[in-house]
Amino acid sequence: MKKIAARIAAVIPIALLAWAIYTLLSAPPEPPGDWRLHMTQAQHDLAVAPIDHAYRVAAYTVTWAIQMGFLAWMGLKWTAQTRDGSEDAHGTRRS
Amino acid sequence: MRKILLGLFAAMTTVLMVWGFHLAVNAPAEMMQGDAYRIIFYHVPSAMVAFLFFAVSMAGSIGYLAYREKNPTRALAWDGWAVAGAEVGVVFCTVVLVTGPLWGYRAWGIWWAWDARLTTTLLLWLIYVSYLLLRRFAGGSQMRTSSAVLGIFGGIAVPIVYISNRIPGQHPGPVFGGDSSSGMAPEILRPFLGNILAWLCWGLVVLILRHRLELKQQAAAARDAEQALNA
Repeated sequence: MKKIAARIAAVIPIALLAWAIYTLLSAPPEPPGDWRLHMTQAQHDLAVAPIDHAYRVAAYTVTWAIQMGFLAWMGLKWTAQTRDGSEDAHGTRRS
Repeated sequence: MRKILLGLFAAMTTVLMVWGFHLAVNAPAEMMQGDAYRIIFYHVPSAMVAFLFFAVSMAGSIGYLAYREKNPTRALAWDGWAVAGAEVGVVFCTVVLVTGPLWGYRAWGIWWAWDARLTTTLLLWLIYVSYLLLRRFAGGSQMRTSSAVLGIFGGIAVPIVYISNRIPGQHPGPVFGGDSSSGMAPEILRPFLGNILAWLCWGLVVLILRHRLELKQQAAAARDAEQALNA
C-alpha cells in the first residue's frame, strides 16, 4: 500500500509538468506582427485570449508540479528514514 | 498534541489554497495583459515566502554558530531550521524563476532580461543551491559550520534582491511602497492578499514538515554513530 502511495506521489508532479508543457505547446499561434492591417483590436484580443489562458494554466500547473514534487521527495525520505529506524530497532531486539 | 495541531493547520491551509485559487481565477480581467496577469497571484507570493524562508535559514545559521559549542543539542535544532528554510526557500524561488518568464513572455515578448531584479534573484537561488550542495557533498564536522557561514551570506543577499527592482529595468517596479504610480486596484488586491496568506500557510506547513524530517535524520545519524562506537 505504501509503495503504491509513493509511486502515485512521484507520478503526480511528472504528470503536472507534462500537462504544463502540453498546454504551452498546444496554445494557438500568435497573431502576426502586422495584425493591425488584418484585424480590429477586439478581434486581436479574442485571438490572444486563449494564448494568455494557456500561459496562466501552465504557470499554475508548473507551480504545483514543483511543490508536489518536493512533497513527494520529502515523503520518500521520511518513509526510508522510518523503515531504516524500524529495521535498526528490530536488529537490536534480535541481538 | 503537536501532530493534531499540525493536521488542523494543514487542513486549514488546504481550504485556504482552494479559496486562493478561486479568488485568483475569478479576479477581474486586466485590460492590457488578459488572463496572463493572474500569474502574479502565484509568482509574487512565492517570492515573498522564499525571501522569508531564506531569512529563517539565516536565523538558523546564526543560532547554530551561537550554540555549537555551548549547547550542541540546541545548535542542531537551529541547524535543522537553517537547512529547512534554505531547502523550502529554494523550492519557492524555483517557482518564482519558472513562473516569471512565463508571465514575462506574454507581457514583454521575451523570456528573460538581465535586469537587476531577475539577475539578483537568480544569484540568490544559486547561493542557496550551492548551500544545499555543500551540505550534500561536504563531509566531516565542519560541514555545518561552513554551510552556516554561507547561509548568513545568502540571507544578507535577500534585502539586495528586494531593493533591486527600484533600479529601472525590465521588471515592474514595487507595487507597495514605491512611487506615486505604484499600488493595486482593490478588486485585484483582495485575491492578491488572499493568495499571499494561502501560500504563506502552505510554506509554513512544508517548512515544519521539512524541519521534522531533518530532526529525524539527525537522530538516525546520532544512532548510527553510537552503534559504530559500540561495535
